[in-house]
Amino acid sequence: MATIGHNNLNAKLVLLGDMGAGKSSLVLRFVKGQFLEFQESTIGAAFFSQTLAANDVTVKFEIWDTAGQERYHSLAPMYYRGAAAAIIVYDISNTDSFGRAKKWVQELQKQGNPNMVMALAGNKADLEDRRKVTAEEARVYAEENGLFFMETSAKTALNVNDIFHEIAKKLPRAQPAQNPAGMVLVDRPPEGSRATSCCS
Amino acid sequence: MYGTQSRRDVAYEYQAQIPILRPSIHARRANITVKFQDLYGFTVEGNVDDVNVLNEVREKVREQGRVWWALEASKGANWYLQTHVSSTLKSSLKFSALVNAITLKRLIRKGIPPALRPKVWFSLSGAAKKKSTVPESYYNDLSKAVEGMVTPATKQIDHDLPRTFPGHPWLDTPEGHAALRRVLVGYSFRDSDVGYCQGLNYVAALLLLVMKTEEDAFWMLAVLLENVLVNDCYTTNLSGCHVEQRVFKDLLPKKCPRHCFFEKCRIYAHLEDLEFDVSLVATEWFLCVFSKSLPSETTMRVWDVLFYEGAKVLFHVALAIFKMKEDELLMTHHVGDVINVLQRTTHHLFDPDELLTVAFDKVGSMTTTTISKQRKKQEPAVMAELDQRLRRLNSVNGDDK
Ligand SMILES: Nc1nc2c(ncn2[C@@H]2O[C@H](COP(=O)(O)OP(=O)(O)OP(=O)(O)O)[C@@H](O)[C@H]2O)c(=O)[nH]1
Ligand SMILES: [Mg+2]
Repeated sequence: MATIGHNNLNAKLVLLGDMGAGKSSLVLRFVKGQFLEFQESTIGAAFFSQTLAANDVTVKFEIWDTAGQERYHSLAPMYYRGAAAAIIVYDISNTDSFGRAKKWVQELQKQGNPNMVMALAGNKADLEDRRKVTAEEARVYAEENGLFFMETSAKTALNVNDIFHEIAKKLPRAQPAQNPAGMVLVDRPPEGSRATSCCS
Repeated sequence: MYGTQSRRDVAYEYQAQIPILRPSIHARRANITVKFQDLYGFTVEGNVDDVNVLNEVREKVREQGRVWWALEASKGANWYLQTHVSSTLKSSLKFSALVNAITLKRLIRKGIPPALRPKVWFSLSGAAKKKSTVPESYYNDLSKAVEGMVTPATKQIDHDLPRTFPGHPWLDTPEGHAALRRVLVGYSFRDSDVGYCQGLNYVAALLLLVMKTEEDAFWMLAVLLENVLVNDCYTTNLSGCHVEQRVFKDLLPKKCPRHCFFEKCRIYAHLEDLEFDVSLVATEWFLCVFSKSLPSETTMRVWDVLFYEGAKVLFHVALAIFKMKEDELLMTHHVGDVINVLQRTTHHLFDPDELLTVAFDKVGSMTTTTISKQRKKQEPAVMAELDQRLRRLNSVNGDDK
C-alpha cells in the first residue's frame, strides 16, 4: 500500500478495560519488556510511545494507558478521541471484566473514530487454573463485533508484541483526506527547523 | 500503628539509615543514573546532580527546623494557633496575631520541618477541629464497626493495597497495608458518596507517612476531601475534578502568556495546535494531589501550603510546572514531546523551592474567591457535558438489548 513521504506512521492507541485487567502491565511489557508483580494503579492515564516496524512501514505508537475504575469513565473520551487503534483488555480469570470490556466495545463503536482498529485482549492467560472466560466465548464475541482477538499474558509475554504488531499491520496506510483517523503521516522537520511547527 | 512508640520523624529515621552519597568525579562525568532513597524512604532514580540537590534539600530542612524551634522558644509552643485573624479580623484584631499570621504564611511557604508537620498540619488544616466535634472514640469505633465488612469499595481497596507505592520500606509491608486499609475502608463508610476512588490510596499513604498515626491520617483525609479540595472531586463522575480542569484551562493562557519566538503564538495556543489538552496530564496532578508526580518532599511542601492556604495552591503549582518549561514547551511539535517534557520536569523537581518560588512569585497572586467564582462559572457546562455523555451512553447500552 502506498505511503506518503517517509514510511513513518504515527498512530494514537488507547487501552481500555476494567481496573486490574492488566492494561499498564501490557504496555510495560511492550514498551520496556518488563513485568511487575505489583503494578501501580493508574490515575487518569499514562502516556508511552513505542516504535515498531510492520511490513513496509515504521509505526510509532502513542499509547494512552487509561485508568480502569468505573468513575474514571467520564475521562475516557479525552483519551480515545481521535485514536487510530484501541486495545480493550479483560482478565480471563474475572467474568465482570469481560462484561466491562463489552461495554467499552459498544461505546467505541458508537462514539469512537469509525476507522478505529479494535483489538480484544484476554489478558492473564497464564492463570489457566483460574480461568472464568473461555477463549471460545471471547472469539465468537470478537468476530460478531468486528474486532480481532488474542489471549495475552503480560507476565509471560505471550502475544504481547503480536497484538501490537497485528494492529500495526491493520492500520490503514495512506490517508487520502487530511488526518481523518487520528493518524499523522509524519514528515518530521529536520532538527534545525524546530519550533516552526506551531501556528502554521 | 506506625511509629507510635517514637516521636522521631520518619524522614529523620530514614536519613539516619542512608549514608550521604558522595558521588565521585567519575560518576559525575559519566552522567550515570543512580537509585537512591529520598527523605520519605521512596526509591527514586536520578543522576548525580539530583543526588546533590537532595542532599542540599536535607540540609535546608534541618535549617528550617532550627528556625521553627527558635520561634517556638520565643513565641511559645503552638504560637501558630494564635493567627486566626481572618474571620474575627474587625473587632478583636490583635497586632501580635497579625504579625504571627504574616510570619506564619511566609514560614509555611518556606516549608514546615518534617518533625513538626503532624502537629502543624493537624491544627492548621482544621482536622483538629473536625475531630473535636465527634466523640473521642469515633475512629476506633468506626474501624471496629466496619471490620470484616465487604463492599465494592473494600474489594477495590484490597486490590489496590499492594499497588500503592510498591517497594516502599514501610507502606509495602503487612503493617503498612493494614493501616492504609483501615484508613481507606473507614473513610469509604464515612462518606458513601466517595466510597473509594483510586488516587486516594496514594494520598492516604502519604498522609500516613507524615502523620504517623492512622487516626490523624484519617482526619487529614477527611478535612482534605470535605473542606480543602473542591466538592465532588472523587464522587461518582469526578465532576469536581472536571470543574478544576476547566478552571485550570482558563487560567493557563492568563498566567503563561509567553510568546513563541517565531510567531505570535502563546503557549496555550501552541499546545492547542498540537491537540494537547492540559487535562491529559493535569487530571492526575489534581486527583493525586501531585503525590504520584513530584518527589515526596516536594509534594509535602506543596501540601504544607495547601493545608494552610487552600485548594488555590494546586493551581499555583500546576501553572508553575508549565511556566518553568514555557520555552521548552514552545519548541515541541508533538503531544508526546509535551508530555515527556512535563513528566521529566515533575519527576526531577527534587528542590521544592525551585517549584514554589515560581508558583508563588512568578505565577502571581490568586485568591480563593476568584477560584470559587471560576468554579461557579464552569459548573453548569461540566454538569451539562456529563449529563449528555451519560444519556448518550445509556442509549449505547440500550441499543444492544
Ligand atoms: N498473572 C498475571 N498477572 C498479571 C498480568 N497482567 C497484569 N497482572 C497483574 O495484575 C495486576 C493489575 O495489573 P495492571 O497492569 O496494573 O492493571 P490495569 O489494568 O492497568 O489496572 P488500573 O490501572 O487499575 O486500571 C498487577 O498486580 C499485575 O502484576 C498477567 O498477564 N498475568
Ligand atoms: Mg493501569
